[in-house]
Amino acid sequence: MILGYLGGGALLAGLVMAGFSAVLSFWAGLQENAVMVQVGRRAFFAAAAMVAVAGGLLEWALLSHDFSLAYVAEHTDLSTPTALVAAGFYGGQEGSLLYWALVLALLGSVSLVASASLGLKMAGYAAGLMAAILSFLLVVLVLVASPFGLLSITPPDGLGLNPVLRDGGMLIHPPIILAGFASFAIPFCFASAALLAGRPDAAWIAHTRRFALIAWSLQTTGLVLGMWWAYHVLGWGGYWGWDPVENVALMPWLATTAYLHSSMVQETRGRLRAWNFGLVMLAFLLVVFGTFIVRSGVVPSVHTFAISAIGPWFLGFLFVCIAFSVVLLAARAGVAAGGGQPVAPVSREGAFVLQNLLLIGVVAVVFWGTVLPLVSGMFGQQRVVGASYYERAAGPLLVVILALMAAGPLLPWRRAARLPSLRALVWPGATVLVALAALLVAGVRSIPALIALPLVAAVVATCLIQYARLGRGWSRLPSVFGRRRRRYGAYLAHLGLAVLVTGIGASHFWQQERDVTLAPGQQVTVAGYTLTYTGSEQRTLTDHTELVASMRFGDATLEPALATYAGLGGQALTHVSINTTPLADVYVVLAGSGADGTASFRIFVNPLVSWIWAGGAIIIFGVLLGNLGERAPATEAVRRRVPASVPG
Amino acid sequence: MIRWSIPALVVAACVGYLIYSASGGSAEYYLTVSQLRSHPVNGEVRVAGVVQTDVQKSNGGLHVTFTEKDGTASVPVEYSGTLPDIFKPGITVVAEGRLGADGVFHATTLLAKCPSRFSTTPYTQ
Repeated sequence: MILGYLGGGALLAGLVMAGFSAVLSFWAGLQENAVMVQVGRRAFFAAAAMVAVAGGLLEWALLSHDFSLAYVAEHTDLSTPTALVAAGFYGGQEGSLLYWALVLALLGSVSLVASASLGLKMAGYAAGLMAAILSFLLVVLVLVASPFGLLSITPPDGLGLNPVLRDGGMLIHPPIILAGFASFAIPFCFASAALLAGRPDAAWIAHTRRFALIAWSLQTTGLVLGMWWAYHVLGWGGYWGWDPVENVALMPWLATTAYLHSSMVQETRGRLRAWNFGLVMLAFLLVVFGTFIVRSGVVPSVHTFAISAIGPWFLGFLFVCIAFSVVLLAARAGVAAGGGQPVAPVSREGAFVLQNLLLIGVVAVVFWGTVLPLVSGMFGQQRVVGASYYERAAGPLLVVILALMAAGPLLPWRRAARLPSLRALVWPGATVLVALAALLVAGVRSIPALIALPLVAAVVATCLIQYARLGRGWSRLPSVFGRRRRRYGAYLAHLGLAVLVTGIGASHFWQQERDVTLAPGQQVTVAGYTLTYTGSEQRTLTDHTELVASMRFGDATLEPALATYAGLGGQALTHVSINTTPLADVYVVLAGSGADGTASFRIFVNPLVSWIWAGGAIIIFGVLLGNLGERAPATEAVRRRVPASVPG
Repeated sequence: MIRWSIPALVVAACVGYLIYSASGGSAEYYLTVSQLRSHPVNGEVRVAGVVQTDVQKSNGGLHVTFTEKDGTASVPVEYSGTLPDIFKPGITVVAEGRLGADGVFHATTLLAKCPSRFSTTPYTQ
């Protein structure tokens, strides 16, 4: 009970501090008042501290099973394992919003500590914007979605967590993807502050790069873990369903991927300034849009969302953010435009520009697929699109992006490439032909597979060429070590993506499935893998009963099961059993059993699925290798490299 | 700037065409059971409704028939495959498939509205 009051008080205090920080920081930035910029920043730190206190109190309430709090009673119960009770923090609407505010407050504080070098105007505006966003979240948390609401009668036990979510995945996927979502706000604040301050040079990019990378890495990890979790828990044999919830997590990731590449053009050539601002803003707008879509229930999704009161709030916030971004970009177009020399079509920066356009094209495809039910519903009968839409519309774009990944890194910066400098393209080109021939010999006739997989091989060839070059020529130049490390990391991330795409391609093109009913002792063969059903048994555990079927597969025994939770209205839960090898996963789902001892299964053979998880890990490893512990590039050095006053 | 607006327009036109052609071919109507009854659509549709108590499983749970109903209308549904975990009478499902001449809706996929992290059953006591 007391925790509820304390928590509500902490949120309110945080809101007051954040609001104060927002107003003061803007004013101080406008006046370039050093003392007041400092005070505004400290007010933000104070707000962050209050949010952290609120977070701590909620966690305390959860762990001490304080069921006087509605949130605790609705999301946990006494039988939930402690780790999952702790995970209840972000397991519900209100708590996940508080978690979001917490990540924004803490990461934002870190980013503001390092912002002093950007000048008073930018530091003030950035703090003001960040405090304004935090204020919005706190207003929602205080007024409409408080995790500290109290029940009039304290129940003896809570409702508990849905069994589908009682899984280790619950401990890692949601906090990472939510943190990713929250952190896109930080690049947005610094980009907007740079525009407001009329400072479109690369200084903000140098400062923001780390935070954009953090957001991107968190989102990458969250997406891959989400796929991994869905694949291991949901039992439909796949990992990506183009559900609106997945789409809205993908779109800001795509926009930030574009930004991480185009920002290199600005750093190196001083080009694409307005475009970079636009991308960072787009990523944040997509986050706000996604939150609105996910939490308001306006589009049909396999996830049902509590139609909660926060929908209109986020819609209003979305409109404010869109209006702010559009007006700011339009008003500062003159300042942001220009800089640097024109971009040659066949050059490194030309490849980046095309890659960017294509990535935004993919965003458009996903966006349209996500909002189609909404738009068509306004003009008549609601319509929806399935996976085939995304494959047909985004597939060709992704194929061209793969081709650019293979060719782009070999093109020279600056000048239009002439034939001699294109000689390096022979290697990825030859790789494409070899891989194509190999696939044809192997009997592959699927056109999409014949296009995509050779291009993936070419991407790998290009990365390997780059490693060979980097290792040979650049060792004489220790002064560029920092930048070289970034390149090493980046190409490793490219290699990781190649591995990941191979896994997605193979499991997409060559998945096999079979429904079968077997008597004990009977065998079934799917895609050359033979399984023997040996019998099933009923097991009784503390909170559920399980029907476990045993299948012998080589030396291993697969035990797919069907659990029934009596306490939760007899809800069933399928436990998939997966045998993973580098080449393929054998994925067995138990559908049910007959009175005569037979059991029915759906069996999938999913080629190279483990490559997806490995690829994701390599990407993150590459990003860490390239950037971890990198010292912030001095703003001065960046300014010298890309003069702000280069006439456009 | 002019030089880059041309490729940008070309890419935009390609993306527009891809979206148009792909959504024209694969967009499906999302209907309630009554809408399916009042405006029969040829081809694949998705129909949302509540599972009634007449669920009949056969083939060890890999084949199922049931009646899907909304406020006013109902339709018999037939489906082969693994069922979503939370499938049971009383939940809302989205059946994807087509209405046969026999009046039975032949579903190729069955999606259950799954409880998400954000859906909570308000505590009433």
